Amino acid sequence: MNATTVSAELPRIRTASRWSPRLASAELLKLRKRRGLLAATVGLTIVPMIVAYIVLAALHAADPTQYGPAGGVQNFTDSVNFLGSLTIVAAILIGATAGTGDLGAGVFRELVVTGRSRLALFAARVPAGLGFLLAAVGLALAFTATASTLLAGSVAAPGAQVVAASAGWLVLEATLGFVIALGVSSLVGSRGTSIAVLLGFQLVAMPLLLQIGALGVFREGLVGAAIERFEPAAILGHPPTVPMSVAAAAVAVVAWLVVPIALGAWRTCTRDA
Amino acid sequence: MEAGTNGSNRGNAYVVETSGLTKRFGARVAVDDVELRVPRGSAFGYLGPNGAGKTTLIRMLLGLTDASAGTMRLLGRSVPAARAEALARVGAIVEEPRFHGHLTGRENLQVVAAAREPEAHSRIDGALARVGLAERSDERVKRYSLGMRQRLGVARSLLADPELLILDEPTNGLDPAGIHEFRAMIRGFVAEGRTVLLSSHLLDEVEKICDEVAIVDQGRVVVQGSIAELAREGRQTILVATSDDTRALPILAGHRAVESVVADGNGIRVKLSDASDAELAADDLSRFIVLEGLAIRRFEPARVSLEQRFLEITSRLEEAA
Repeated sequence: MNATTVSAELPRIRTASRWSPRLASAELLKLRKRRGLLAATVGLTIVPMIVAYIVLAALHAADPTQYGPAGGVQNFTDSVNFLGSLTIVAAILIGATAGTGDLGAGVFRELVVTGRSRLALFAARVPAGLGFLLAAVGLALAFTATASTLLAGSVAAPGAQVVAASAGWLVLEATLGFVIALGVSSLVGSRGTSIAVLLGFQLVAMPLLLQIGALGVFREGLVGAAIERFEPAAILGHPPTVPMSVAAAAVAVVAWLVVPIALGAWRTCTRDA
Repeated sequence: MEAGTNGSNRGNAYVVETSGLTKRFGARVAVDDVELRVPRGSAFGYLGPNGAGKTTLIRMLLGLTDASAGTMRLLGRSVPAARAEALARVGAIVEEPRFHGHLTGRENLQVVAAAREPEAHSRIDGALARVGLAERSDERVKRYSLGMRQRLGVARSLLADPELLILDEPTNGLDPAGIHEFRAMIRGFVAEGRTVLLSSHLLDEVEKICDEVAIVDQGRVVVQGSIAELAREGRQTILVATSDDTRALPILAGHRAVESVVADGNGIRVKLSDASDAELAADDLSRFIVLEGLAIRRFEPARVSLEQRFLEITSRLEEAA
């Protein structure tokens, strides 16, 4: 009698379903209960927008002739551009924390011994981390849009179209930043190293690489070029640094979404717990 | 609370079965061709010195690391092929139990319950009460003492409503009161019909808690059976006291089945050789003493402790090496 035959004769034991929202809820619990991460996320998204509009409103109130209204389209797009840069940093922090939280605490093996598939454990981090990040970014954008409208005064308030385009672009940027951080940190296994490498790449190396025209078509493979291609013109304020077709940008985005996730999932499934 | 009421397989005689199980790290063999049978409903000790490969074996059973060779079955299910189903009714503490320090005890259990079947959530309160942590379950784990973490680890393993509990060095770091409490808890689990596989390097602990034991050395299971059987299989020692021990001493020492005799204030310790039939030798010795005209005041086999047996086995291995 071989092993398979014997297993088939045994009564079935109820196991957890392969994909369960409860796992994602647990991942979200782990993230939102980290006070430092919560403070950093709020500090990188909502707080700067609040501070910016308080300052703009104060300046306008103090000297309306020199400083225009705090709201309006121009201040909205400038704020969203700034929020986009900060969102990348928040995404890296959250992604790296989601990718290494269980490993760092030594809890990964405790989850593996439940029998739940490692792939499911990894996959649950994606909706949880994205939910956490997008909630903060969404609140920041909502505040920005509201403040820009209420404080527009004599200038034009941002319309629904530009707000929606901004939201879409921020979601894209946040998702890419988070997924790359999640994948890299799951691969590396160290939160600190992942954050340092990714911040260095996103904030220093990539802007430099985008400026090196000699790299030619290879620049189209950079995630920064693709994000810029999809950035609403009103927010970007200038033509994309790397001229590329929408199709090429879409391919780059998909590649930057799939490859880090695949690498992170592979490492999670194969590492000794 | 009874073990594994949800689709369990009570008919299987063994909850853990391994065959030729081997784990190599490069040239080093950490677990060497292990054949292990853990009977259902027992407290089973996996006893060996530090570095003997106990934790590596447990890590393989739980799917934390792959085996280099051999087969494993947990609760009758082949691992890793039916790993999810097998582990659904297994609770485990591997080395020191680890938690998210920023979460409370209850939240840590919620995290693990989310990875198990939906019913696991409803077991959280009962598990916390069982280990005496109900009142402190809403404190962050980073404020817990080591003993509290150990207890929380047990509570976490109970979320599976386990048929099998695998505990790796569970009393490490506990104070004597904590160890005593832990022993009682384990016996309580066995009384409920659960099986406990306890890995330890502490002979005394295994002897006090377990019904069965496997002694492991350098990755190999050297001997396996009930503690009473193992002790019986050890070199027989008979404690003898007569009306004149000085005269009895040469009589006993001269018997071919006797390896050594040692007199102390309470009588004579007679150690029989390995090859001898203990019962026949004892009959012979008592007859010789009586024929010499001495009165027998004491004639009983000495109890061989697991520690003595363990030392015998491991010293033999050293001699063989």
